[in-house]
This record gives sequence, structure tokens and C-alpha cells, in this order.
Amino acid sequence: MRGPLAVALGILTAIGGFLDAGDLVTNAVVGSRFGLTLAWVVVMGVIGICVFAHMSGKVAAVSGRATFEIIRERLGPRAAGANLVASLAVTVLTLTAEIGGMALALQLASSVERRLWMPVAALAVWLVLWRVRFQVMENVTGLLGLTLIGFAVALYLLGPDWGELARQTLQPAVPPSEGAAVYWYFAIALLGAAMTPYEVFFFSSGGVEERWTVKDLATSRLNVFVGFPFGGVLSIAIAGCAAVVLLPLGIEVDAMSQIVLPVAQAGGPLLLAVVIVGLVSATTGAALETALSAGYTLSQYLGWSWGKFRRPAEAARFHVAMIVALVVAVGVLMTGVDPIAVTEYSVVFSAVALPLTYLPILVVANDPEYMGEHVNGRVLNAVGTLYLVILVVASAAAVPLMIVTEAGA
Amino acid sequence: MSTGLLPEPDQPGRVVDAELHLLDRQVLDVDGEPVCTVDDLELGAVGDDPDIDRPLAGDTTVVVTALLSGPVLGGVVGGRPDSSRRHRIAWRYVTDIGTAVHLGAHGEQFSATWVERWLRERVFSRIPGGRHDPEADE
Repeated sequence: MRGPLAVALGILTAIGGFLDAGDLVTNAVVGSRFGLTLAWVVVMGVIGICVFAHMSGKVAAVSGRATFEIIRERLGPRAAGANLVASLAVTVLTLTAEIGGMALALQLASSVERRLWMPVAALAVWLVLWRVRFQVMENVTGLLGLTLIGFAVALYLLGPDWGELARQTLQPAVPPSEGAAVYWYFAIALLGAAMTPYEVFFFSSGGVEERWTVKDLATSRLNVFVGFPFGGVLSIAIAGCAAVVLLPLGIEVDAMSQIVLPVAQAGGPLLLAVVIVGLVSATTGAALETALSAGYTLSQYLGWSWGKFRRPAEAARFHVAMIVALVVAVGVLMTGVDPIAVTEYSVVFSAVALPLTYLPILVVANDPEYMGEHVNGRVLNAVGTLYLVILVVASAAAVPLMIVTEAGA
Repeated sequence: MSTGLLPEPDQPGRVVDAELHLLDRQVLDVDGEPVCTVDDLELGAVGDDPDIDRPLAGDTTVVVTALLSGPVLGGVVGGRPDSSRRHRIAWRYVTDIGTAVHLGAHGEQFSATWVERWLRERVFSRIPGGRHDPEADE
């Protein structure tokens, strides 16, 4: 498919596919405690993910090599191996959060206990990975994820004091009820939620799956630079809903039902039903992407054949890796841990692991042997380097802040 | 102003840095299917039979005789990984070195892919849909 329709589809998919359990939970938690005073972090995170998703897509399109093949080549077996262990751990933790999110969203829709939904959700994810074509998988979850626009509709229907929300966004300050350490802890969590490492693995490997060439670069750039910012707007709408309804009542988000409470209040059962469809598809899409990313990283490090474009039997070890990741995720969830807590930890550890992914991408995007004439320009390099500095600081500060604030308590 | 020096003569062939261009690169077979990663290289004296392992003199000119694939992190605890546990791909199969190392033969014929082939034939081909082509129109 070519032409304007394909471009529109790509952008819509990028918007709908932007949000995952990490974004949903973190934005609602932050909105309910800090209002929109941390919205600037979402803006910063969206610019960062645009820059690096574009870079990794470009590397995949020009060199035909995905991120972890390059990390292995640049860092050698040991450093890349350590990177692999850290990245896999964060990716499987994120997968656990997404499957937990699917189960919570399905529980919300059905009132069936979440632990009954978890194995069903994982099985559904596996069946899609086993059978469904890559483009179909991406388009269906992305387009259904667009129903999360319901959060923006709800915020509009709530008729908030727009001036106050704008003031919080543009003149951010630590609210008097919260300490500065907690504020910065959640700033890092939001950055981790917006820039999760699996997104880069997925984006570059997806470029190889969809056989991108240099000709597709313009389309990919448009998807990223238009689609992701709209996804970021939805993130802020979720925080805005929580800021308007939950913050004044002093409700802190610790369940999926609280995230959608403002939607139910503003739009009634109909809008709630629409948003629940969005929650299920956003978490399902992200569960698929994280499971694939676990398979991609391991296979690319070890040189196995990988990819959904191959018959499952022809990428056997890749499929084994994804099945193991799904089994681990369900195993962790079945111990009875709170999926919301898993999600909150997953975004912070994502922030810790971010420089491991972003540094090699930046290095290779500047290597003429891979990129030829498509090496990064000055502006892209300046922005990329600036973000790398920010990410290193956030990564170093994340764990100390987690200890000091008792994980934001 | 010209210095009067002659330009450096062209080297025959292409200079390849073993560490930069070979080690840790993805190996692709003749159809572009992944085979393994280059985990190590086997070196031998020029003109020697690569199957005979003998010590090399210090001034011997060496060439790469094979790509090796196998446990990469065996040396972390100490000692060198056992070379008998590594799979060899003779250098004569290499046709091109780019962002990946290309071979002129099918991946199936190399021992490096045996786990993949075993899983494919014994397990995955027997699960319904294991041989289904995801790109085919249904």
C-alpha cells in the first residue's frame, strides 16, 4: 500500500501505538499527585523518543542491521552481553507490566478476577506472535488504541479551569503537599515511561521486518514526528483527567479503575466502554512489542534467525525466546504481585537502562561505513548528545531517588 | 603546492580490520538468512593445511582460515573457551564483508545452525502453524 492512505494509516498507528501500561499508569499517578506540573517531562520524553526512534529506524533502513546486532558489534561480546542482560531484564519486566495491564483492563470490562485473565492474555499474545502478519498486528492494535482519545474527550467534558492547567504546565513548581525528591523521582519515572528502551529495539527491528529501505525514510520520519507527539498529547490528557478529578479528592491511583474514574464521571458508561477498548488494545499492542523485543535482542546478540516475517519454524530459537519471556511474565504475575506496582517499577528501571540503548545508536548513526551519506546531521547530533547527557543523569539518579523516597511513597 | 611525492600505490584487494570488520558481525548465508555471529577467528600459516594444528613461528605470515562460532562468554571465569566446542565455517565460503559477513553457501550445511535445525524439525514443524508463512495471503 502506498500513497496518502498509507501515510495516514502509519501516523494513526503511531498515535494509537504510542501509549502502553507504563504511560497509562505513570501519567495517572503523576496527575493525581502533581497535577500537570510534570507535563514538561512528557514533552521532553516525546522529543527524545522521536529523535532516537528516527535514528534507529534510519540505521535499520540504510544498513539493514537492527539495534542489538550493532550493539554487539560495537561493544564486543562482554560489554554487549552485560547490556543484553540488563535490557532483557527491563524488557521482560515491561512485558510483565503489559500482561498485568491487559488482565486489569479485561477485569474492568468483565468483573472476572485478574489472575484468571493473565494466562488467557499471554496465550492470546502468543497466538498473535505465532500466526498474525506483522503489519496486521501493528495496524489493528494501533487503530484500536486510538480510542484512548476518550481521555482527551473526557478532559474536555469535565470543563476544567484551562487557565490553571496551563499555568501548571508552563510554570511548573513542586506542589506544597509533595517533597522535591518525590517530584524528581516521578520526573524520572515519566521519562522512563515515554522513552522505554524496548521501543527502540522494536522500532529498528520492525524496520527490518517491514523491509524498509532508504525510500521509506520519509514515511518513517513522518510517522514518528507527527504520530508520537499526538501520543504525547494523549499522555498529558490522562494526567489532566487525574489532575482535575482525583487530585482535589486526594485519591492516589493504585488501581486501573481509578485511572478511568474521570472518564466514567465525564462521559458515562459509553465513553468508559470506548476507553476500556483502548486500554485493552494499548496494553495488548505493547505486550506484543515487548515480547518481540525480548526475542529480537537475544537473537540479534547471538546471531540467530529472527523475525515475524519468517515462518515460525525458520526462526525457531526466536520463538522459543518469546515463549520463555511470556511464561516468565505470567509466572511473576501469578505470584499475586500488584500489576500496577510492577508497572511503576518497570518505568523507573527503564530509565536506568536507557543510556545502554541510546549510546550505541547515536554512535552508529554517525558511522559512515554503515550509514554512507545518511550519517546524522549536526542538529540531530546536538539534540542526540544533549539527550544522552540527560539520560545518563536520570539513570544515575533513579535508584538513589527510589531509595530516598521509598519508591515515591 | 605539490610536494613531488608519488601517491601511495593502490593495495591489491581490500584491507580489513579483523576486530572492526569481522569479529561480532552477523553471518548471513547465500539467501541472506542468519547463520551465526563471528565469535572468534581461526588463524593459520599461509599455505598450511588448516586441519593440522601446529605451533606457528613468530615471523610466520598468518591468514584467517575460519570463522568460529560458539560460547562467547566462556572466558569470563578464567581460561580460554574450549576450541572443540566451537563451530567452524571455513574462510573459503566467505564471499563478501559489508555490514554483515556473507557466505556463498546455505546455512543448513554448517554445524553452527544445528540447534536451530533440531528445534525446527523436531519441535516447531509439529506445532500447527509452525510452517505457516506469515506473509502469504490467506
